[in-house]
Parts: sequence; structure tokens; C-alpha cells
Amino acid sequence: MAHYDYVEKAVNVSRREFLGMVGVAGAILWTGAYAATDLVQDRNKYIKMRAQGIYKDDVKAKVRQSHHNPGLKDMYQKFAGQPLSPLAEELFHTRYIDRTRLG
Amino acid sequence: MSHPEQGLRVLKHSLRSRLFHWGLILGFMPAAITGFILWLKLGSDDFVNLAMKIHIVGAVIFTVSSLLYVIVAFDRVIAFVRLIWTWDDRDIGWMLTGGGYPQKMLLGKEIDVPPMDKLNSGQKIFGICVSIGGLLLIVTGWILYSFIPLAPKAFIHGADLVHMAFGVFLGLFMFVHIFLGLYNWSEFKAMFGDGTQLLSEVEHHNPLYAANKLERATHPDADEPIGVPSCKVE
Repeated sequence: MAHYDYVEKAVNVSRREFLGMVGVAGAILWTGAYAATDLVQDRNKYIKMRAQGIYKDDVKAKVRQSHHNPGLKDMYQKFAGQPLSPLAEELFHTRYIDRTRLG
Repeated sequence: MSHPEQGLRVLKHSLRSRLFHWGLILGFMPAAITGFILWLKLGSDDFVNLAMKIHIVGAVIFTVSSLLYVIVAFDRVIAFVRLIWTWDDRDIGWMLTGGGYPQKMLLGKEIDVPPMDKLNSGQKIFGICVSIGGLLLIVTGWILYSFIPLAPKAFIHGADLVHMAFGVFLGLFMFVHIFLGLYNWSEFKAMFGDGTQLLSEVEHHNPLYAANKLERATHPDADEPIGVPSCKVE
């Protein structure tokens, strides 16, 4: 346990200093909260707009399923044989890469 | 703790301040060292990956320590802020002589320097950099941790630049701080020991502090008042 003969005099915090510190802390927290909620609201807005756009395109489209895409069907017929054929596997199959690693 | 040195002692660093200092050692120091590893990509992917994990844990300790210190030692924060932003002719004189350290370290001679308060002018500059830089590091660090998928790229890029610039600056400053702390051995012992220093040493390094800010402890042998706030709001 500490043994000592002198200590520092008590610090008298003025009202101005107290309000100043609380103001700085409040401004940082308010700005952070505003920025965070603004970002989330914006993100939600853009997701909704994007989804609406996709649905709108889908309604207009003559071919709505990818496996009915004439270009794709033509490609399989003339080139890759059928879906999941060895050539299609080799050309179109993607491999898993662990992107959770931060390094 | 027993003190073989004879003489009156001053409680220079309260338990709250010493615990906060440990928080910085366990939080800021690993975050700074791993920050350099991340910046320079030193080592394999696995090693850099581990460094990032340590960086984040260090950041949590650093942030929590800082918040707790502001809450439980508000009076010490106010005293610190007051002191680092108070400058007068003595500080100019101290800066012009480098506090007498270059003469002492390089030429081995002691020169007269203007009297200082609890912090000398160099420590005040360090305090200003650490308080502003530390706050920016905490804020930008958590932005980078939380908002990369959400925030505009330009904003994230700006936060990254600020985080890196202040991180490098304060990281290098930390090594200077460690060196000067070891050089001023009695100060080092006070911070890592029971917080006390001989009055004669305090009078030598901090004459204004000794003359104006100290008072006789009412119970010299009493245990240190833990967690009892000594501030009054007027």
C-alpha cells in the first residue's frame, strides 16, 4: 500500500469545463449515431430501389428463366453439350476462395 | 511497498491513472505494434491475419480503458486538458533549451531550465497529440471495423488515411515516450509502482507543481483512496 506525505489538491471542475467536455462527447456520439443511421437508411433505400428495378425488368422480359435463354441454349447445343458436362464444368465452374481471412 | 530512500513522498499518479496507463500498455501498445505489421505487411498471410486479430483486441482494450478513465477520473481528465493547453513564456524557454535534455544526454552537463508544472512542455505536446490523435484513432478505427460495406468508398478511404497517418505518428511517438520514461527512472518507478515519488525529485523536475498544487495528506499512512472522486463541480 502506498505511503505518502503529499497529495495533489482537489481539482475544481468549472461548469464551463463540465459542459464543454459533455458537449464534445455529445457531439461525437450524435455525429456517429446520425452517420450510422443515415448510412443504414440509405442502404435500405438503395436495396429497395434495386429490387424494384429488377422486378420491373423481370415483368417486361420475354424470357424469365435463365435456362430458357435462347443464347444459352444455343451455346450448349453447339459448344458445351449440356449443363454440367465435363467441358461446362471446366469452363464455368468456380472454386471456393476463403475471403474471411484478413491478411 | 517499502521505500529504502529516506524522505517525504508525493502521490504523483493515483491508482485510477496507473490503471489507465496499464490499459494503454495492454491496449494501445499491441495495437500500435500490430498496426505497423499490418501497414508494412510484415510476414506471411497467417502472421498478418493474426496481427489483425491482436490489433482489434488491443483496440477494444484501448477504447474501453479510455472511456472508463473519462467516466471514473473526470477530474484528472480536466486537470490534464487544462495543463496541456496552458502555455506561457516558460514553455517557450523550455522548448528553446530542449528542457536541457540534449545538453545532459550528449554533453553530460546540466543547464538551468524554466520551472515546469506536473508536465513539462515536451510532455504537453505529447499530451495534445495523444488526446487528439487517440480520439481520431478510436473513431476512425471503429468506422473501418464497422462501416466498410455500408459507407461510401471515398469516406472509408479518408478514414483509412487518417487512421494510418495518426497511427504511424503516435506509434513512433510511443517509442520516444518509452525511452524517456526509462530515462527518467524515478518517474517510471512511480507509474509502475505505488504512484509515489520523492518530494525532492518532484521539486527538481516539477517545481511549479510542488509549489502550487500539492497539499499535505491528511493521513500519510492511510491506504490510497481508491475510486473516490476528488473533483467538485462549481
